[in-house]
Amino acid sequence: MRYFVIVGSLFALMLWSCNNGNRCYDSVDTLMVTSFSIDGFKTINSLVINGVNRSDLGDTLVNDSSSALTKSDNLPLSLTADSTGFVIKTNGTTDTLFIRHTMSLVFVSRYCGFAPDYVLLGCRHTSGIDSVKIFHPKVNPSSIQLAPNGQNITIYFSSARH
Amino acid sequence: MVKILLSILALLVISSLTVFSQTRSDEWRYEGPRVGLDLSRFLLNSMQSGKTTGWEIQGDIPYKGSLFPTFETGMQTMNDKHDIFHYKNSGNYARVGIDMNLGKFESLKDHDFVFIGARLGYSLFNQQTDSIYNSNYWGSTITSFPRRSMSANWAELLFGMKGEIFPNFFFGWSLRAKLLLAVTKDAHIKPYVIPGIGNTSGGTPFDFSVGVYYRFPIFKSKKMPKPIKMGGAKHPGLNNGTDSNNPNSGQSGRGRQNYNSGN
Repeated sequence: MRYFVIVGSLFALMLWSCNNGNRCYDSVDTLMVTSFSIDGFKTINSLVINGVNRSDLGDTLVNDSSSALTKSDNLPLSLTADSTGFVIKTNGTTDTLFIRHTMSLVFVSRYCGFAPDYVLLGCRHTSGIDSVKIFHPKVNPSSIQLAPNGQNITIYFSSARH
Repeated sequence: MVKILLSILALLVISSLTVFSQTRSDEWRYEGPRVGLDLSRFLLNSMQSGKTTGWEIQGDIPYKGSLFPTFETGMQTMNDKHDIFHYKNSGNYARVGIDMNLGKFESLKDHDFVFIGARLGYSLFNQQTDSIYNSNYWGSTITSFPRRSMSANWAELLFGMKGEIFPNFFFGWSLRAKLLLAVTKDAHIKPYVIPGIGNTSGGTPFDFSVGVYYRFPIFKSKKMPKPIKMGGAKHPGLNNGTDSNNPNSGQSGRGRQNYNSGN
């Protein structure tokens, strides 16, 4: 009996000491899945996106020169401000879009840490953008799983201006 | 402090040997409350990542021979420092429950047993997160969440063994499956380590406990404790007047084993 107690202790201790590693296997990148469309019939030949006041070399978020009726990209939102601004150049026409949002940090896992979690509240934009539709206001690390069939927002450009 | 501990240890060993010598001549069975220290809490720091420290005291008392109502209490502190955040958590906990001997004691001096048990636990703790670092295209931030008091309760199922290594000194272990019943909600971080439960970030938290115990030989008797009867409903029609537990009561059915209680 005593033999079993001691051997059992050692065996259980060995099992107990196993752990599932100390690496991060989850995404902590929070990106807003955004799709772009002119009117559904007009192609977007070029799309360049920068952050507002971010025009230095290397500050370009998107530089897509392929032609398509709709495009989709993942955009980062501000960690400190309650709105994020983008300068969007589509087919040579420049527009500005500001997204209002809340931001809080949520715990992902012990080895991944925290990730920002946003709720989109609304937007304002220049006249080259016809409308912006918010489909999924919650933006979190799992938002990128919405693509390609879903998106957080869709930006419809004015066909007269593009 | 060390001298006091050594004196207490020496006293316990002497008293144990005295009782041991008495049992040889008188054949008494000594029972009493058993108090011990969970050694696995001291091993946590070296075996698991994160700086975890703590202690746990466990105690039980025999009830009707094969049942052992138990009480366990302890404290745990965790200081988990990563590059991207620093999590601190500390608190106290207590568990109440019962262990049940699965077998039967072979003799008056036999106190070794294999058991299953259940516990209900309650933990009162606080957590704090500092230096949470995040960065993206727009820049980087360092934030923190202040200290917050929280509580949790849970249930445990146990399987384990305890053996008497020296008279009145026991060594034992138990494997524990834990089910978190409730924990204070936090908008930012669900506590991934709770004092008394351990790591909660996986599915069912499993834990292992290994301890040394001393039994205070307060009660003595010459009766063997009765094992727990584990049987279903009796079917008198199937027995036909024979008792399979009694070798003298007639022929047992095919495949049945005679069971001698040894008393």
